[in-house]
Amino acid sequence: MARPRKFEKVAIANRGEVAVRIIRACQEMGIETVLLHSSVDTQTAAYRLADEAYCVGEAPSHASYLNIQANVQGALSAGADAVHPGFGFLSENREFAEAVTQAGMVFIGPTAENIRLFGDKISAKEHVEKIGGPTIPGYQGEDQSIPRLLKECDRIGYPLICKAAAGGGGRGLKVIKNSFEAEELIKSAQREAMSAFGSGSVFLEKYLDHAKHIEVQIFGDHGGKVHVLFDRECSVQRRHQKIIEEALSPSLDEDLRQAIGRIAGDLAERAGYVGAGTVEFLLQDERFYFMEMNTRLQVEHPVTELVMGVDLVKAQIMTAMGQPLSWPKEFKARGHAIECRIYAEDPYRGGIPSTGKILAAHWPQGPGRRFEVGFEPGDEVTSYYDPMIAKVIVWDESRIRAIQKMKRTLSDTVIFGVRTNIPLLQSILSHEEFVLGEMTTRFFETHFSKPLSPPEFSPTELKLIQAISGKLGEPVDRDAGGEDQSPWSFTWSRR
Amino acid sequence: MNWVEIPYHGKIWRIPALKSQGRLWFHWQGETHVVEVGNGSRRGGADQGRSHRGVIQAPMPGKVTKVHVTVGERVAKGKALVVMEAMKMEYTLEADLDGTIAEVGVTPGQQVSLGQVIVRLDEETGKA
Repeated sequence: MARPRKFEKVAIANRGEVAVRIIRACQEMGIETVLLHSSVDTQTAAYRLADEAYCVGEAPSHASYLNIQANVQGALSAGADAVHPGFGFLSENREFAEAVTQAGMVFIGPTAENIRLFGDKISAKEHVEKIGGPTIPGYQGEDQSIPRLLKECDRIGYPLICKAAAGGGGRGLKVIKNSFEAEELIKSAQREAMSAFGSGSVFLEKYLDHAKHIEVQIFGDHGGKVHVLFDRECSVQRRHQKIIEEALSPSLDEDLRQAIGRIAGDLAERAGYVGAGTVEFLLQDERFYFMEMNTRLQVEHPVTELVMGVDLVKAQIMTAMGQPLSWPKEFKARGHAIECRIYAEDPYRGGIPSTGKILAAHWPQGPGRRFEVGFEPGDEVTSYYDPMIAKVIVWDESRIRAIQKMKRTLSDTVIFGVRTNIPLLQSILSHEEFVLGEMTTRFFETHFSKPLSPPEFSPTELKLIQAISGKLGEPVDRDAGGEDQSPWSFTWSRR
Repeated sequence: MNWVEIPYHGKIWRIPALKSQGRLWFHWQGETHVVEVGNGSRRGGADQGRSHRGVIQAPMPGKVTKVHVTVGERVAKGKALVVMEAMKMEYTLEADLDGTIAEVGVTPGQQVSLGQVIVRLDEETGKA
């Protein structure tokens, strides 16, 4: 742990809404910021908000946001005391954490050793088993030959998952349904693992087919104490990408909540964990299994902040400065919070990315509503990066009230210029299984695998469209010349 | 946010709306919509309005039920060209000028999307 020192300037090695989140936290703490950005990201909210900006490379991530040397160099030349990696990109990269430290700056996050231990799924699983934590039956041996892997598949039983041993998210992940397709899918996972992470090592795991995604937020303070900030549920996922998250989980009773929290806390404490981290579990039939630990801030951290009354980003910075946190000894959750991720995509065409210039946006403020936004009108949504452009988070007294508030908030949210997944989010929020809190990680593929049907306009609405269009200056109804200019020249009648 | 004020059901509604590059974006009753409105060249030319005259587009997604005209046929303004169906309603698309049918882009039973070109008309010139 570095000696306590107050940061004068923090570099942010990230983009979008999380960069804005971190810059705001720094501003409130009286810390200057320098944004390390790619060449195309000068038309963004984070760029305008930061005190300084340093271009670390061209648009493609590998040339900029994933370039360790360029980011360290940028932070150094700006005179930063510390680097916040946000999430994604270099946030879970041990070499980056080491490079920042070796350059004499502080990495705002866990230690390089923490990242190493949990970054590799195999060593993470071994660590969990060492402390008696529940893991999913699987194979994670050295012998990566196809005959051995096939034998292990038969032992574990189908369906099962074949994953890259390194790396996070859904990359290189295959679901193997039976022995006939096993060999082909294992080979394909090995190839993907090799190209994405430089290591073809895979591991096998039983596939829990009606499990819920439950995760526990932990935080190791500078004094070595690990705080357990309870759980979140993120079962609404599409292709292993979370869409809606909430805190606390509606699926845990008090006993399970305590048990899962204790395991997560022990896990972090035994590893000497520092900073924000999330331990992910699958819960099926009242039993939970360790999945992985993310050694960083999560996208969905705001839901925990709202129910626990904490600021995780400021806590990260305080901890990195060697300062104590003014957190209570025991946490108690208050009310319920839900987050919806806003993706720039076309919900009527199966979620294909929608790019373009944001023409206008309106965020309906109100009590218990929070908006994390990375763009402003005039900014461009490009296809270089993740299509998540904003997050809407609500808090209310109970889960059902939070759902109602989210629906109303999304109804009043306006984004012109790119299409968004808001209609899809509305459908999910109204789905019985979601309302009852019974959704599993297969919820999305079961109920929403088909694109939404585009809305159809009633005759009255078509009149309205004409009226709006007319008001905007282009004649669609009666022009001065008295001629009907409407291309939608039609009459209607009841059948 | 750009908006327009529209009277509807006895109240003036402020509706977020803007036009850009041939598209009309508007937010109405909790949903954002975008409809194609042509290239948006302003009044004063022959190509007025949201679309070119003589280009009949589908005003909504739906199904074509009847096609009343064939290519080459001369039609008068107001002539019923195509009947389509959506939301249990029938819509009759009419000629917006006197002219000749240059193209019929649909057949009965066909599903069409919003803004899809249904019929093209050539304007009658030199008419006495």
